[in-house]
Amino acid sequence: MKEKILIANRGEIAIRIAEACQDLGLDFVMVYTPADEDSEHVRRYLDSKSTKNKAWRISSYTDSNEILSIADYTKCTAIHPGYGFFSEDFRFARRVTIRNRPLIFIGPKWEVIRDLGDKINTKRVANKLGIPTIPGTDAPIYNEMEAEAIAEHIFEKQKIQEIAEPSVLVKAAAGGGGMGIEEVHQLEQFRRVYRQIQNYAKRQFGDGGVLIEQCLRDYNHLEVQLVCSRHGERVYFGTRNCTIQSTGRQKRVEAAPGFDSSCFPYDFNPQEVLDKIVKYSLKLASHVKYDNVGTWEWIVARDGSPYLLEVNTRIQVENDVSARISYLKKKHPNLIREQIRLALGDKMGYSQKKIKFKGACIEFRVVAEDTRRGFLPWIGTISRFNFPQHEWSAVYTHVPFTRPYVIPSDYDPNLALAIVWGANVDEVKERGRRFLNEIIIEGKNGKGEPILTNIPYLKDNIDNLLKF
Amino acid sequence: MKDTYINEILEKYRADPFGYIDSHTIHTGRIRFFVKKDEEVSGLSGEWHHIPGTKLYSLHREGNEKPTFSKSSGIVSSIRNDLEGKFVEAGEKVITIRYPLKKREIIEEILRQVLAPFKAPERAKYFFSLDVQSRIEKFGQRSVMVRPGDEILTMSLMKRDTPIYYQGEPGIIHSVYFQQGITVEQDEPLLGICPADKLPVIQKVITRVKAEWE
Repeated sequence: MKEKILIANRGEIAIRIAEACQDLGLDFVMVYTPADEDSEHVRRYLDSKSTKNKAWRISSYTDSNEILSIADYTKCTAIHPGYGFFSEDFRFARRVTIRNRPLIFIGPKWEVIRDLGDKINTKRVANKLGIPTIPGTDAPIYNEMEAEAIAEHIFEKQKIQEIAEPSVLVKAAAGGGGMGIEEVHQLEQFRRVYRQIQNYAKRQFGDGGVLIEQCLRDYNHLEVQLVCSRHGERVYFGTRNCTIQSTGRQKRVEAAPGFDSSCFPYDFNPQEVLDKIVKYSLKLASHVKYDNVGTWEWIVARDGSPYLLEVNTRIQVENDVSARISYLKKKHPNLIREQIRLALGDKMGYSQKKIKFKGACIEFRVVAEDTRRGFLPWIGTISRFNFPQHEWSAVYTHVPFTRPYVIPSDYDPNLALAIVWGANVDEVKERGRRFLNEIIIEGKNGKGEPILTNIPYLKDNIDNLLKF
Repeated sequence: MKDTYINEILEKYRADPFGYIDSHTIHTGRIRFFVKKDEEVSGLSGEWHHIPGTKLYSLHREGNEKPTFSKSSGIVSSIRNDLEGKFVEAGEKVITIRYPLKKREIIEEILRQVLAPFKAPERAKYFFSLDVQSRIEKFGQRSVMVRPGDEILTMSLMKRDTPIYYQGEPGIIHSVYFQQGITVEQDEPLLGICPADKLPVIQKVITRVKAEWE
């Protein structure tokens, strides 16, 4: 392959993409903002005095002109958006591929992102195909009176169903990754929350559209990892469970497989439910001619009823959780490598039958935050950063191990993704505990107070995995 | 505030009555300069500041030409001629303009010592709260009174919005030191609040600088 990839992202995912490019023998270029100058995704590749410099400073990760000008100047032929930023922006994907100097967008085709990247449209398409979705609006609401009337209707419906603590969710329609979502317990609170979310949505996403949905309780949040090619091949790499999330609905612990009977006496047949959500996910993927990696997000109620939440038309942070329970020719696949290869036009080269699932895996998102104060981000300087090394674990991070690192306040304070895997859920839980106990992170904030991380929270939640 | 302190500051500015403005490229692109070293440049002018200053350089990116104009009248004290015609990254320092300080700037600097500063609790981006923003738009900044407990700002930190409540003496928002959406360092002043009893001191500073600074 002679393609050259521009990595339009930051942090650990930028490093993982760079390594995947190296594995495939592809040249690549990084971009970075001044706030990220000390990050490993920059330091490893910055050599400004050399003609082989691979890291270029831009004003923002969300300025498409910046990305494209660097891509043209460095003669890149493809753009990998990673996750977040432009990864689910169909306009960006369209602009990348339709221009005087067209580039390859490493992700689904822009038409597919348009159809599925928007959760409202996804809901509409899913409803047409008979795939269950969460009760609520399937179009963005811009009018406060209309929004309140819908919320009132959803509250009344829950009252009729005798739901103990009825509530509705107000979501920024253009949001994602758990950002811009608030829960309302009483209709009287609705207008205030609606205005707050609308204001947030306008500022963060440039669109004040809001979705209103019933807030389901007592559920598990599952994901189905699909990998598809430009040649109509579609396979899945198992299911994941990401029910343990911060108050801001950001994932913190994720495990695979999605359910395991050793963890909880489910009121339903877990394998049947997992098979059902995989079947529905593949049905929707086939309908929209999905052609790259993607994650189908599901809510499964205590009685086993699944509801499609949304589709993430990009590589997911937790892609490696799926890879660590999957085997292709007796080896764990690398889904980022698969994503790049398939986006560049390769055929898959294997079928579903060749993918074997074995064992279990947990991923911990290690974040500098105060979990006791609403997961409040912690900013300061890290002075010591050490992770254990085992043959059953992996760590992905942009934080340097050998020098102090100031956490930039412009982005999430994610420090690392720590993955452990094993033969079964019990073994992997035990390994997870041991791994978390061996992590050393030291640092101080501007007031001299020691660093706060979510490691105690992660430990506390290991036993809650895969439970209702 | 003591007269000696004002004297001290005025002396400092008399010794070097110039300000320096560094111009950094706002984005990537191919650069073309329109001025030379030691050349005199003019800043914004016109009754409504509608006439742009001297064109300093332009950046060509994605088929678009983005010119940068001088914001202040002065002299080009340094310029990166070695970059002419080359592709530059964002944030590259390319030109420095030296300009004579204005009375307003000196007054503002002295007032920083007089006004009660409301400091940034964290390194973050700040926005006025919806209520304060609408009051500023309606009545003007210096007519907005703030009291302890008022929600005055929204702190945007790591994609999270947190309301910031005012703590300190009641007063009017006299000076705003931050730009909405631009990151401010921790403990940097965001606002200069003027309590009612300090209005005579402020008037005194303004009169003194106006009288003594040519």
